[in-house]
Amino acid sequence: MGTATSLEFSKMGRAWIPMAETLVPLPTSSQRTQAHTGDPRLPLSCSGECWQPGQELAGVLSFPPTLPRHQVLRIFAADEAQVQKVKELEDLQHLQLDFWKGPTWPGTPIDIRVPFHSLQAVKIFLEAQDIRYEIMIEDLQSLLDEEQEQMFAFRAQVQSTDTFNYATYHTLEEIYNFLDLLVAEHPQLVSKIQIGKTYEDRPIYVLKFSTGGNNRPAIWIDTGIHSREWVTQASGVWFAKKITQDYGQDPALTNILNNMDIFLEIVTNPDGFAFTHSKNRMWRKTRSLTSNSLCVGVDPNRNWDAGFGNAGSSSNPCSDQYRGKFPNSEVEVQSIVNFVNNHGNIKAFISIHSYSQLLLYPYGYTSEPAPDKEELDKLAKSAVTALSSLYGTKFKYGSIITTIYQASGSTVDWTYNQGIKYSFTFELRDSGRYGFLLPASQIVPTAQETWLALMTIMEYTLNHPY
Amino acid sequence: MQPRGQPPFAPQPGPARPYAAPWALLLLQLLLTLRGAAVPLQDPAVPLQGPRGTDSPAAPSWAMLQQAARVALHFFNFHSGSPSELQVLANVQTGGWQVDPQRGYHINLVFSTESYHLQDGKPRLGKCFARVFFQNQKPRPAITMTCTGLSEKNRTLQEDHLLYEQLKQMKDALTVGGIPDDYGYIDPSVRPIWDLAILGSSYVMWERTTQFSYYYPLQLSRVKQWKTSDHAIDFDYTVLLHEFPTQEIIPCHIHLIWYPGKPLKVKYRCEEIQTPVEASSGTEEGSAVAATEFSNF
Repeated sequence: MGTATSLEFSKMGRAWIPMAETLVPLPTSSQRTQAHTGDPRLPLSCSGECWQPGQELAGVLSFPPTLPRHQVLRIFAADEAQVQKVKELEDLQHLQLDFWKGPTWPGTPIDIRVPFHSLQAVKIFLEAQDIRYEIMIEDLQSLLDEEQEQMFAFRAQVQSTDTFNYATYHTLEEIYNFLDLLVAEHPQLVSKIQIGKTYEDRPIYVLKFSTGGNNRPAIWIDTGIHSREWVTQASGVWFAKKITQDYGQDPALTNILNNMDIFLEIVTNPDGFAFTHSKNRMWRKTRSLTSNSLCVGVDPNRNWDAGFGNAGSSSNPCSDQYRGKFPNSEVEVQSIVNFVNNHGNIKAFISIHSYSQLLLYPYGYTSEPAPDKEELDKLAKSAVTALSSLYGTKFKYGSIITTIYQASGSTVDWTYNQGIKYSFTFELRDSGRYGFLLPASQIVPTAQETWLALMTIMEYTLNHPY
Repeated sequence: MQPRGQPPFAPQPGPARPYAAPWALLLLQLLLTLRGAAVPLQDPAVPLQGPRGTDSPAAPSWAMLQQAARVALHFFNFHSGSPSELQVLANVQTGGWQVDPQRGYHINLVFSTESYHLQDGKPRLGKCFARVFFQNQKPRPAITMTCTGLSEKNRTLQEDHLLYEQLKQMKDALTVGGIPDDYGYIDPSVRPIWDLAILGSSYVMWERTTQFSYYYPLQLSRVKQWKTSDHAIDFDYTVLLHEFPTQEIIPCHIHLIWYPGKPLKVKYRCEEIQTPVEASSGTEEGSAVAATEFSNF
């Protein structure tokens, strides 16, 4: 006899489809005497849905029929004899009783879920034996429905980007759900593009914010290329929401979107991100397998075709800066390369990392200054000034190689060499106190201040077409 | 434009400059540094752009000044032996250097600090004057320094004793792991363990830092042993260090013995990244160094 309760079952979130049904009222005591046909243990005929004991488990796997008008009775056996009588009920298979709390000894209540078709028989039996009982749950189905409603209601709370919690870290599933919600809420402004599939076959999504036009000049922002840098994906989610809020409200952002498109890739390394949640919070790279090595993953920010193989990356597959066997070996990188090449009209490219509080421009692979160094330096200075205006967070800026370290095969070196002049890399909070393990309370402030820097760059890009 | 990063009276760095600067000149340099004769970084947002790609191949970058300040603080924290008085870098204010391509970099620094612990929600501000010598490519730079603006010595000792008492109460520290947790949270009840772990890590980070590599402690991942008595706390744990520029996460197993006011005793062993299975044709990646024990016991 199963002790798995139906309530637990419902918590697994299976959908219950209520069946239309007519309720047969239970006879009153006077009627009962008339209906009594002798041995109360004789079954009523089983019509309609008959619930087999083993069916419960099967129901877990496939959407089950309902439990219409099932009741849960609580029985108080006064003595051992009464306990025995209740035990006899257990043996009657055709009643299909589900003992939630089996008969043990007098004084301990016995709880039984009784299918509708057995209700009359059981109650008559109990009353005939003078066994006290009460109806604990009058209608199990409606209770389940209510619970299901509650669960749906709970899910309804995260069925809107207005009730989504931006001040906490989310899983890949939650972020992917968020993408769909945002698109559903703003179909005129936001669309979701799949640019590829990861090594482990997860879809790679980019949000497109556009008010029309045909292949307008565009701004690209990506977060989470290094999966352990959790504040970046979290900020990306916040940026997405911010854009939808500010379009039509904030003149600057409205102006940008009336002339340009924005592409936002929030989880740029989905396999790595899933891995940081499931196995190793400190995972940085992709999850691709390298032949002849036990080590997994390539550093996606060393895999681009700019100075590939130079000092500033590693040929050791076990290294966290492993560059891969060849440029764009990583599908996560190749997908973006394809997108950028096919689009052909991206004017600013911003790749977001953490931590160190820096705003960087090319190059990382060479100490040769970028031809637009002066302009990029000035723009970087304005951007970090805007950033620090909010909470006083201090950012340093400069070229990658002079400000942080030599890095070859990095994203913005490639995009810059493709002609995307305004190519920047951010390193968000903090400066080493928590590092990657930035407390969630800092997500929104980080996103807010970074947004000011992004707006500076985007506005500048709009006003300086090339 | 005034060449940045050099005291006006300093000899120009050039090729094959022998390290024969008289001590008087060095002292003068230091004094000048202290009196701000070195070019100050007036705008903290502006990075110092050291001479780059010109005649002085060995000129250090602005980033190296930061590293020098950081490692000086690791050294300071270790030597102070006080988990309640840990300092972190705020800003490098002035930086001067002298380069000897044969031997290494002498870096003079003035930098501001913040206390790791907040007092009334704010960190306590301090200032340090340091001289850091990075011997070419070698770790464990030689450091002389002095800091001002710190808490009074007695007060520090008092706080350390309080911390000690708190730590003695922790019986099941052995089950502790993941401080901070994956979401950056540190429960206030285990905060003292984290502070002590950072103190021990400071020794390790000082010993490992070179002019190119520096470290941050990310997480206390495991406690192997925790013994408290009236005489000392005996703490054996694993801390994950984040190494720049390699981006590696280095687990270091640290065994320390601490008592307030006494010098910290530390023994440690860090794991290195695996070797590639296939033989590498390049020479840039050496095989994993066999982890050896280091200690000051």
